Amino acid sequence: MSFSLLAATVGFADDKTKDNDAADAVKTESPIKHVIILIGENRGTDHTFGVYKPKGKHETISNILSKGIVNEDGTPGPNFSLAQQFMVKPQPQYYIGAPKAAKAAYGSTGQMPQPNTNGAPIAQGESGAPFVPAFLAELAVVDPSPDFNPLTDTILTTGFTMLPANTVDTRIPNAGVLPNGPFVLQGPNISDDDYTGDMTHRFYQAWQQSDCSVANATKANPTGCLNDLFPFVMSTYDLNDKSVPAVQGNFSEGNEMGFYDAEQEEASTLKTLADRFSLSDNFHQSFQGGTGANHFMLGTGDAGFWSDGNGNAITPPANQIANPNPAPGTTNKYTADNNFTNCSDFTQPGIAPIVSYLEALPYRPEPNCATAHYYMVDNTNPGFYPNGFRAPSPAAQAMIPASPVRTIGDALNEKNISWAYFGGSYNDAVALSNDAVTAGTAATLNSSTALGEAALADPAHALGVAYCQICNPFQYATSIMGNPTQRAAHIKDTVDLLADIQADTLPSVSFGKPDGLLDGHPSSSKIDLFEAYVQQVLDALEAHPKLKAETVVFVTWDEAGGYWDSGFIQPIDFFGDGPRIPLLTLSEYSTGGTVNHTYADHVSLLKFIERNWKLRPLTDRSRDNLPNPKMREDQPYVPGNMPALSDLFDIFDFSHAVKQPFLE
Amino acid sequence: MRRNISRRTTAVLHLAWLFSAAAVAQGQPPSFSADIVSLDAGGAGQAAAKLQVANPKARIEMAGAADGFFLSDTDAGTALFVRTAQRLYLDARQSTPFTRIFVPVDPRDPCRQWQAAAATAGVPSTGEWHCELIERASMNHHEIIEYRVVRSDGQSEYGWVDRTMGFPVKWQAADGKVFVLENIVLQAQPQSLFSIPPDYRKLDPQALLERIKHSDVWAEPSK
Repeated sequence: MSFSLLAATVGFADDKTKDNDAADAVKTESPIKHVIILIGENRGTDHTFGVYKPKGKHETISNILSKGIVNEDGTPGPNFSLAQQFMVKPQPQYYIGAPKAAKAAYGSTGQMPQPNTNGAPIAQGESGAPFVPAFLAELAVVDPSPDFNPLTDTILTTGFTMLPANTVDTRIPNAGVLPNGPFVLQGPNISDDDYTGDMTHRFYQAWQQSDCSVANATKANPTGCLNDLFPFVMSTYDLNDKSVPAVQGNFSEGNEMGFYDAEQEEASTLKTLADRFSLSDNFHQSFQGGTGANHFMLGTGDAGFWSDGNGNAITPPANQIANPNPAPGTTNKYTADNNFTNCSDFTQPGIAPIVSYLEALPYRPEPNCATAHYYMVDNTNPGFYPNGFRAPSPAAQAMIPASPVRTIGDALNEKNISWAYFGGSYNDAVALSNDAVTAGTAATLNSSTALGEAALADPAHALGVAYCQICNPFQYATSIMGNPTQRAAHIKDTVDLLADIQADTLPSVSFGKPDGLLDGHPSSSKIDLFEAYVQQVLDALEAHPKLKAETVVFVTWDEAGGYWDSGFIQPIDFFGDGPRIPLLTLSEYSTGGTVNHTYADHVSLLKFIERNWKLRPLTDRSRDNLPNPKMREDQPYVPGNMPALSDLFDIFDFSHAVKQPFLE
Repeated sequence: MRRNISRRTTAVLHLAWLFSAAAVAQGQPPSFSADIVSLDAGGAGQAAAKLQVANPKARIEMAGAADGFFLSDTDAGTALFVRTAQRLYLDARQSTPFTRIFVPVDPRDPCRQWQAAAATAGVPSTGEWHCELIERASMNHHEIIEYRVVRSDGQSEYGWVDRTMGFPVKWQAADGKVFVLENIVLQAQPQSLFSIPPDYRKLDPQALLERIKHSDVWAEPSK
């Protein structure tokens, strides 16, 4: 009998006589009684696991090593040209599939943009000496033990560029003359313990970088996304290149092409977890672009939209509406790089190229754009402050009005299934919000600005500025954030996650998000700091074997952060999918160093929760309505029934539990 | 008015001084510990913080905040928040009003120290503060002097100063909140309570803010 048939018949209800674990009593389809979803920032699959060889017997992986794009030591491989990047001649309108005749590979007519330090911290003495202790402080919040971990202390005090900002990052071997393609972030002066330059990662830019056209379609890549305009878009979307002198708007340059070498001990904690448990190499960011929209999709299976605060869609202020069409006289400078877009209206800038492409795909995915809805496609702070204060003038404060979109929290509430969102530095953010309300700034300023001002006046809670408001999908929701009881019950701090594990009171469903200092985001954080955060949670679980045995920890990211990736992309609707991001599945039922190829994205995590706790899809338009993919052996990464999303159950073997330590 | 003021001052009289062998020598700045209690409109008290003083330093541990303490030094013109678990400290600024209220003062001219403490906390001020003596009262051989504290912005607060201790024992803020010292114990305080270990590092919130602006946590409004 297969597991699923067994589960459908009897369900799993554990012995609940001997502990505080109320979640044990809830019937589930699998032996999993707790799910913890840990979300890092801005790392793609090839960027993190591009040079990784699966440990499981006969396991395969799709990455730049297996494709021969690079060698095991990170140098260019025999098929390096598969990753080559292109520039595009000026076009009259925004496009997502560049005309072939207008493209030219870097190297033939110009050098690929080179990696740049951008805003990465220069040295401790710059803004560093103050912020090094900030890292210390944050880790100590995660681990408030009096004896600070000397190794962690070392990690936190290293990695500064020692180079000027906005210049070629010469720590990277051969920077300045790097060939057209990916380059390894490893050398005598750079490793995974170094801060690196960030790059822009926004909605219209990401679609354009993916370079999707049905004209490019092949059997292995039926959606025709070539992923070959990454440096080009970064070096042009904000560039007044026809002015004299040219004005450089950002310094993303060629940072998109950097990757770590897991086979050379980079990102070693993540590699160890992949070696022992399961890694997905066909898991995707659900939304093209950045943090806010991807987290919103993770919590709702949908996109947020501008409203009157009572659930009715209205038009946002003009300065919120995007226009990615090129400004006159420029190669590709966006006319208005704003955060909201009405994708139901073909006449609006940027809409037709994406919708036309979707319509041309053989499986014709619906754009899923409701009439006259302006969707949030880029980072916009929620209409609620962290303490629940509702911004009285969201338009003037550049905050999205309180959202009516149903969340997974609402669905869990209806079934009395416990859940919580644990955001790093949330408690301090509440204190700063209280300050901002008292000072009156909460009523007039954007919440980032108001909390920043409060932090300067109330340094004891300054770490509250590192709490990520846009990462918490529930902070947008009227049903959760607008209800003090709901807010108190479900919106918590990282310290509460650890306390719940230690007290054996972990909710059934937990979302864990480190703050901006530990989230692994390039420039402001490092990948090893996110590894440290993950390890803190895993160490806490390790000390509670019974809880560990019935818990799955998913470790993933919000988005690839603008990093180039070689993987297949399945467009599902107007909003995404985007490039691949890693998903690690850590449980006793997902072991052996396996690699799962089934197509999935953030919404697959919702589907897992819904299947395990027997919930229905959130709404009639949310992505969790999509079927599970029918994967084929001849095309292991392309669902035969697109659009489709896995519920992740096929990662597990629930008939076979393997007890092993997470890391030690 | 006079009667009302008297009642206000008399309200201090329930305070208890527990004299120890190290009682205050005449002219010597005292060391002592006390509880800072917040009084509601009905006079009911709630513990707000623990105070320890070794002139010119004061250490304040807030109730419910076990991960740190405030440390002020009127001679050095500093008020810091120390996070012991994290081995760091920050300028306290306006994290709590106590660091600008409960500081050693000159009983004859306390406004000078209160204004200096407010400046350390970053409270905007454009001119001189002045203190109006409202009333003197006596209790347990201690003279309590009530002042009306007139800030440069015109707002008034009230402070009651123990003349012998050279320290405020009660405060009524402009918003009506009242804080009093209770369970005052005059005795020497361990000097170790008033120093920051040398391996602690200082955090600058402005630098933290600049770093955060490079992350996705900072959602900058559209231009």
